[in-house]
Amino acid sequence: MFYPEPTAITGLGCISAAGLDLDTALVNMFAGKRNPQPPTKFTTEHQVASLVLELSDELKLPLDEEEEIYSRTCQLALVAAQQALTDAGWDSESLRGKRVGVCLGTTVGCALNCDDFYRTYKDEGDDVPDMGIMSRFLRSNPAAVVAQQLKLDGPVQTVVNACSSGTDAIGIGAGWLRAGACDIVIAGGTDELLRLTYSGFSSLMITAPEPCKPFDVNRKGLNLGEGAGVVILESAELSKAKQKRGYLRGYGSACDAYHLTAPHPEGTGLKRAIFEALAAAQLNATDIAFINAHGTGTPDNDRVESRVMKAVFPGKPFGSTKGFTGHTLGAAGGIEAVFTIACLQRGEIPASIGFSTADPECPAEPVKVNTAISGSNALSESLAFGGNNAVLIFAKGEC
Amino acid sequence: MRMAIQGVGITGAFGTGVDALRTALQTGQVPAENKTAENGYQAPVDKLVDFIPKRALRRIDHFSKMTLLSASLAIQDAKLETADRSRMGVVIATGYGTLQTTFKFLDSYLDYGYACSSPTHFSNSVHNAAAAHVSMQMQATAPSLTVTQFEMSVASALLSAQQWLAEGRVDQVLFGAVDESCEVLHYCRNQFFGAGEQGPIQPFAFDKQSAVAGEGATFLLLTADSEAAPYGFIDSVQMGNHTVSPLQLSNDELFIIGADGHRQCSSWYPQAVSDSNAVAYAPLYGSFLAAAGFDLAVAAVSQRDETIYLCPESSGSVGLLPTQKLTSQPLSCLKFDGGGNYGLIRLSR
Amino acid sequence: MSVKEKLKQVLIEDLNIEDVEPDEIADDLALFGEGLGLDSLDAVELVIIIQKHFGVEIKDMVESRPIFESINTLAAYIEANKS
Repeated sequence: MFYPEPTAITGLGCISAAGLDLDTALVNMFAGKRNPQPPTKFTTEHQVASLVLELSDELKLPLDEEEEIYSRTCQLALVAAQQALTDAGWDSESLRGKRVGVCLGTTVGCALNCDDFYRTYKDEGDDVPDMGIMSRFLRSNPAAVVAQQLKLDGPVQTVVNACSSGTDAIGIGAGWLRAGACDIVIAGGTDELLRLTYSGFSSLMITAPEPCKPFDVNRKGLNLGEGAGVVILESAELSKAKQKRGYLRGYGSACDAYHLTAPHPEGTGLKRAIFEALAAAQLNATDIAFINAHGTGTPDNDRVESRVMKAVFPGKPFGSTKGFTGHTLGAAGGIEAVFTIACLQRGEIPASIGFSTADPECPAEPVKVNTAISGSNALSESLAFGGNNAVLIFAKGEC
Repeated sequence: MRMAIQGVGITGAFGTGVDALRTALQTGQVPAENKTAENGYQAPVDKLVDFIPKRALRRIDHFSKMTLLSASLAIQDAKLETADRSRMGVVIATGYGTLQTTFKFLDSYLDYGYACSSPTHFSNSVHNAAAAHVSMQMQATAPSLTVTQFEMSVASALLSAQQWLAEGRVDQVLFGAVDESCEVLHYCRNQFFGAGEQGPIQPFAFDKQSAVAGEGATFLLLTADSEAAPYGFIDSVQMGNHTVSPLQLSNDELFIIGADGHRQCSSWYPQAVSDSNAVAYAPLYGSFLAAAGFDLAVAAVSQRDETIYLCPESSGSVGLLPTQKLTSQPLSCLKFDGGGNYGLIRLSR
Repeated sequence: MSVKEKLKQVLIEDLNIEDVEPDEIADDLALFGEGLGLDSLDAVELVIIIQKHFGVEIKDMVESRPIFESINTLAAYIEANKS
């Protein structure tokens, strides 16, 4: 199967620890700046704290005064969606009457995060659990909140494919345009940093007490992060007269069907997803200028990815941006899609921060310095719990 | 693009399998042991050992057991037990994911401290864990997708299944709808709805809260349009918001509506359809977010049997449609959420 | 109850290993792969189990690999690190 024509991308929006907007993130990444630290917004009794990458306190949530109304995850999605819509030249007025879909990936956005409620519930004292926590959860479906806040009419989908959710959401949203289900899609991913995921990832012993080092021989695990990344996809008709940020040329996904938490050692699902995306884009592996790797900094993930890189894209420059943003779970695919498109335009990718010494078990090495790239197609990949693998191929735009 | 329904697997309070569902449709009854005042409607999973060895179920929770059981039944019903499943996609719609394991994970750190959080419960509490277990057990290596959209989960996920089949990404889709109940859910529902939780569910008493928590899993084995479709076809899937752009429906159609005793959601149905061409079956499986998938399974069985079954007695409709032959009238499933968002699934034979 | 006996019991209960009795697990039986058939997810769960039931911490999975070989090695580590 191939796509008859690439899908136009007319707007980009992203917030992460690398920066509260795309331009700031690019400046920080190309300057090699990052700021991992122990979590400040919650405490746990872990003896050695894993480091995380939190959003700067300068972040203003759009519904600040009503913070209790929606989860932070939903608010982050709203910020990134608003940035992307503005970038694409849309506002709530001009969207009226358009068929607009919303497809967002998340991990914790749909998880019942209710520590405070549940602690009181379990405690057999006289205190009554705070039902407001449950009410907020029931209002806080990320895709639905964006559709509702912008008063949209069209398909709405929250993808919960763990860490490949954001990548899958963009691939699925583009499918809606091809099928004529809508004219515009707001697509990407969003996730906040929570004690719930912090404890969960710590228990799996894949978080690092130091700044993460994707692909390095001394990598100790991942740093969690938070944020949201959104792209605006538009039909050929609507985007005809516009300069495009980029194009989505291909999407592929496949399941390892191997293990709940470990990737297949040979990356069978990842390879299949890559080849499906290449086929959709009608491109060869040699046509890809660079790869934005999943590169979490865990021993297993990076080993498998590096093997696949060597086998499919020998010699191609690649890097992980998770050292700057942390692993933002369901948001990662959205944020990294935005970075991939921006780097294509810039003709340069940032040094894969945290990498200094090659691992004999990782046959392909990421870029150590900011690296000029030539070519007009790039690939972003995500691997997830449950053996999900998802891949997007983007082409360079005009602005 | 049309999707052909090749097989149905289901487990709910009425029992396990299409025959149990059909019996419930014919009698309007649910076995008493699966429907109690304390626990609402509960879905049995004991037949799972017919398909998967007990040892392989060591880390599999109730949510994933319901999922695996109905997925296995759908594959059996479609006679694909020995087929190559490398091009079979898995799509699962769920409103809440696995509630019981989510709380077990919270238990692990609230009881023993954060440093003792259970990695097994954590990884099984992730929303796509059930889909992962299906892919692993069935060796279904094509794309896998889990969608959480509260009441709209089923319509939304079905859109993606349809897209995959239309573009030839997969040859079949194992499409599921799953939700489970648990003690905390019952507590919360009692806090929110109070006495309304006692039942019986009266779907057509649109202004009355009469919902009772339910659970279950159903799977449809879907292929791109083909000659043979034992359960007929799904013609189209539409999502939208009734307040932004009102739904216009014809009186010539028959609707299985997702009214399940939730007043806020139910209030939308009389604005879109009339009692005289609508049926509802929530009293057979209870009120839960993914029950829109059960409505779809009933639609599939109704098409196969060429029969529209009488609404269960407690449905509260003024003019109940009698059990009747399903003739040329088109059949659709309609589900509303509390905010006027709708999912409309049109079927044909 | 000895450390070994308790280990076998909590292993069966917390890892939900059905159809196996504690005395069917030999002290030198390989816990992973062939043998009892545990995997990488069980390994991290074991770390929690040992902390919860014996108050003994295991910090690094790579360095600690030899500890996970059998009931013998696990019990020896617990005995040596009990406070």
